[in-house]
Amino acid sequence: MPFPKRTPLAWLNLVHDRLRFIISLGGVAFAVLLMFVFTGFMNALYDSQIQLLKQLNGEIIIINRLKSNMVLPASFARRRLYQALAFEGVEAAYALYTSDANWKNPETKRTRPVRILAFNLADPVLPLPDVEANLKRLQLPNTALIDTQARAEVGPTTAGIVTELADREIRIVGTFTLGTDFASGNGNLIMSDQNFLRYFADRGPEEDTRSFATVDVGLLKVSPNVDIDALVATLSDRLPQDVSILPKEGPAGFVQRERTYWQENTNIGFVFSLLTLMGFGVGVILVYQILYTDVADHWAEYATLKAMGYSNQFLLGIVLQEALILSALGFLPGFCISNLLYALAGGATGLTFQMTIARVGMLYATTFIMCLISGAIAVRKVQTADPADVFGG
Amino acid sequence: MYLEGEGDAMTKPGNRFFAPENPLSNSLAPIKDELAVQIQHLNFAFGKGDLCKQVLFDISLNLPKGQIVILTGPSGSGKTTLISLIGALRTVREGSLRVMGQELADMRNADRVRVRQSIGFIFQSHNLFESLTARQNVEMAVELLGRFKSKRDQAEVILTQLGLADRMDHKPQALSGGQKQRVAIARALVNHPPLILADEPTAALDKQTSREVVTLMQTLTREQNCTVLMVTHDNRILDVADRIINLVDGQLESDTNPDAFINSHTYKNSKHDDAKMFIM
Repeated sequence: MPFPKRTPLAWLNLVHDRLRFIISLGGVAFAVLLMFVFTGFMNALYDSQIQLLKQLNGEIIIINRLKSNMVLPASFARRRLYQALAFEGVEAAYALYTSDANWKNPETKRTRPVRILAFNLADPVLPLPDVEANLKRLQLPNTALIDTQARAEVGPTTAGIVTELADREIRIVGTFTLGTDFASGNGNLIMSDQNFLRYFADRGPEEDTRSFATVDVGLLKVSPNVDIDALVATLSDRLPQDVSILPKEGPAGFVQRERTYWQENTNIGFVFSLLTLMGFGVGVILVYQILYTDVADHWAEYATLKAMGYSNQFLLGIVLQEALILSALGFLPGFCISNLLYALAGGATGLTFQMTIARVGMLYATTFIMCLISGAIAVRKVQTADPADVFGG
Repeated sequence: MYLEGEGDAMTKPGNRFFAPENPLSNSLAPIKDELAVQIQHLNFAFGKGDLCKQVLFDISLNLPKGQIVILTGPSGSGKTTLISLIGALRTVREGSLRVMGQELADMRNADRVRVRQSIGFIFQSHNLFESLTARQNVEMAVELLGRFKSKRDQAEVILTQLGLADRMDHKPQALSGGQKQRVAIARALVNHPPLILADEPTAALDKQTSREVVTLMQTLTREQNCTVLMVTHDNRILDVADRIINLVDGQLESDTNPDAFINSHTYKNSKHDDAKMFIM
């Protein structure tokens, strides 16, 4: 060794048996993978719900007071938007119309519900690059854009498809990328408000008719340097009480409200937290086994160290170091494989799998704690190493 | 401890400064300076209540510095218990046991750990870490005293003395039984402990190797003037001892030099020709 440091006993003990070390790391990586997959699905389900909302181009959102989530089909009077426009600081007001309709898969001819997002093409409601590039084509009658992230049941998602929407012919003139959520059914279509009327103004005696009189989501564009919270308070105070006015961002905002709704009203969190906990438990047991085996195999050596005058704390330190080395080196492959799985799962489900730094950090901390707990249990074995028993062994 | 009375500090001026650093230095009273181990009326029992089994009865024994002492006796006579008590591996509850002047009776666990740092232990099995090289195994002992700068040199010197100069970077797997035991001895001796406790150090070795190992121990201990207390059943190595203590049923039966020990045992068992057979 080139530098006069303490002999890295923990590291050397771990890597002494290469094969066992690699298997150990595989075990930790597997536990990490389990936790990544389960938290990944949980987050993906939540993230997907707010995917569309985050793209909406407005700082303040107006919705029907009863619309507690995006699945609920409650709309409000469009004149509320014009009333809001009268307030100082409100620069523009856009209307977003949504409706569910049956889409016929052009290949299997089976119908599936999809969600239609419609708006005045002059208004930048959804400023996605793909949408803006196709605005001209959307002006033609009976045309729409389809989401490439739509579920497989929708069929091929390419421009040029001609099929039926709500029993009328529709022509797909382009694509965009958004993703599915609980409200979108099997996928999203985007069309102009004019086309929206063509499809939904008169759907027959048993269906609700739609017109420009009611809006599903209203967006307010606010002038720069305007206090959004103050403006929201003013609007809530002054506009009729049949609408909710929310800032888009922030802890009390529209986007967070949607996420909170799904967190509080579904078992997603419980189920996936439970599964993650099980992954965690598997990890604890695996790492414990690895550390316990190390201590048990080297019991006489550890007892000898104690006899020589090494304190219990030193040996605890060795076991904890081993735990930390395992957590760090096992996390890396687990993380890499998880990244791969996220991409695959995202492609298969249309859900949004996001690997954010905060989530990676969080899971590393969890892995760290996992190994620490295992270390703490295994350490008890070291403490029982009685140096007096080595004599007369 | 810094709130001691003024008078106390006056009578023992050096005490408060040295005591926390090295517990061994201050309590070395001059009278016991020549004794490595002093045992008075030591009793020891395992278990409690009805299950209490006494294994050592009223042992009184002095080991002067520089002696090689062999502790022998039949199985179950309490040799191992005695040596583990001297090695501060068990708590002394009855009687007095002083190692290098330190009273071990009723000593706290943390203090016993410190006492052990000045004792070299050699066990029947080598107990080397398979993952460490011979040198690293020895260095672990030097690190105990915090000498990180000199640990490499110290380890190399002692391993060279034990004839392992060309095996230093081998792991125990690549060493023979005798070499492993020599590494274990190097580990015990590298800090120049004033007291060495050995438990059947030659049990796992063949005749020639055990002779080599014992001779090495003898030479090194002579050079470093340390005391060796060795438990052994191995009658091939009795001649290295200055003194042989025979323990039977937890009591000291005899305490003599090797020749007298052999003679006395030969006399008692006259139909045997080879004295060395009775040491078992």
